[in-house]
Amino acid sequence: MSESTRPNIDRDDLHHVIAAQDIADGERVIVEIAGREIAVFNSNGELHALSNYCTHQGGPACEGLLSGTLDVDEDDELVWACEDEIVACPWHGWEFDITDGTHTASDDYRLPTYDVHVRDGEVYVEL
Amino acid sequence: MYVIDHGDRMSSTAERRIRSIDDLEVVVDTDFHLTERQEDIFPYLESPFDELLNSQQGDDYGYLGRVYPAHGMVYSVTIGKADSETVRTKEDIRTGRDLVEWDKAIITPTQNLYLGAVHHDDLAAALATAYNSWLLDEIVDPDDGLYGAALVAPQKPQKAAEEVERRADEDGIAAVMIPSGSVDPLLGHESYYPLYDACERAGLPIKMHNAAGTMMTRFPSTWQAMDRALPVHATSHNMMHQTNLADMLTRGVPERFPDLTFVIQESGLGWYPYFMRRFDHDYMGAKWDAPMLEKRPSEYLKDQFYVTSQPVEGLDDPEYLTETIRHFEGEDSLMFSSDYPHFDFDNTGELLKILRSEFSSEEIQNVYGKTAERVYAFD
Repeated sequence: MSESTRPNIDRDDLHHVIAAQDIADGERVIVEIAGREIAVFNSNGELHALSNYCTHQGGPACEGLLSGTLDVDEDDELVWACEDEIVACPWHGWEFDITDGTHTASDDYRLPTYDVHVRDGEVYVEL
Repeated sequence: MYVIDHGDRMSSTAERRIRSIDDLEVVVDTDFHLTERQEDIFPYLESPFDELLNSQQGDDYGYLGRVYPAHGMVYSVTIGKADSETVRTKEDIRTGRDLVEWDKAIITPTQNLYLGAVHHDDLAAALATAYNSWLLDEIVDPDDGLYGAALVAPQKPQKAAEEVERRADEDGIAAVMIPSGSVDPLLGHESYYPLYDACERAGLPIKMHNAAGTMMTRFPSTWQAMDRALPVHATSHNMMHQTNLADMLTRGVPERFPDLTFVIQESGLGWYPYFMRRFDHDYMGAKWDAPMLEKRPSEYLKDQFYVTSQPVEGLDDPEYLTETIRHFEGEDSLMFSSDYPHFDFDNTGELLKILRSEFSSEEIQNVYGKTAERVYAFD
């Protein structure tokens, strides 16, 4: 995608990432914006942008497995949940919810998230 | 005669401020693992196991060809949530070194942490020899900081001693490694003395490294093997509590029974704040394995579990003891106990002498009775 094909953007806090059609459902793209590595996921038809720097020990958190996680239902039986919404940092397996950046086990660790905008079929991250 | 050195060496050491790892004189990684496979070391097997195993033909049902026992536990690595790098060549090691940034490393195995559980003693010894040959041939490179630990099979201590003698003078062998998680008998047994003698004469330290998948299998025989009271008494209380607490937390017992209180007795103190942090540490990477929990494991312990004091260790080290008690918020959860008339009972005033240096009167009152009055159904 060349610069000239992008629509004019009236805000300088929006950073172009990719054409929306180029991130298939369940896929991700990782880009560098203003010195930060940011991942944009297309999960279940929603776009989510998160920092690719793990708040644990600095691993590439968003490069790991995108899947779900085990949870319990109302009868305390194990169930598979949050399919395609949990990314696991490949260094230590810490799980983060890509819809809000939270760690599955603790509120003390959270990946920063960024607003995503789609204009004229192009994906922008607000930063 | 003593010479006091006021020379440059001292002052330069004093001036060296350590702000980051770049300021360190040397970084030695003392446990950097290979992820070797059976097929890496089988070509190095010597007779008769070379002939026996390297001409393998036919169907092994998908598992009979594997001589290392598999524990079958489901880990974050098993399911792909942690992506453990492959380390089977020098090049792989250099990739890992670029991340960890060491100058020297003692290279250790992964699959061979299970060597002590291999179900064939002579084969286990042969595998140790083959691993060491592979290690020296393809991995160790002292000029590049890559050092190895000579692996020995605990199943055959005499052969292990011979293996140490064979490898001791090789460049790059900096230690001996016992896969200690599945030893039977335990490492105090006299059958190991030839191995210890060989290592001592060679000037090689012995690395002891367990594997989680092997150690539990030996527990009954381990207990039987501790044929004195001292090792049993000093380890069994805290080991058993850790095992029960780990199971109760993982299955969500305190979440299922939020109004239930437990009291942990007669196991000393230092292991408890350790366990809180160790279990939290593992849990952070394995929330999926304990989905019942709504908060950190240590928080359940602080909210629903209490600890009794006897036998207090470290009474001759007040700083250790007061810090240890603070580390599990013992001012709210520690309760005095004497254990009278058992042989290791604590006299009432012993702990008090230590507490006075750190804890408030109210906190000391808690430890000696107020907390117990709240926990127990006295009314």
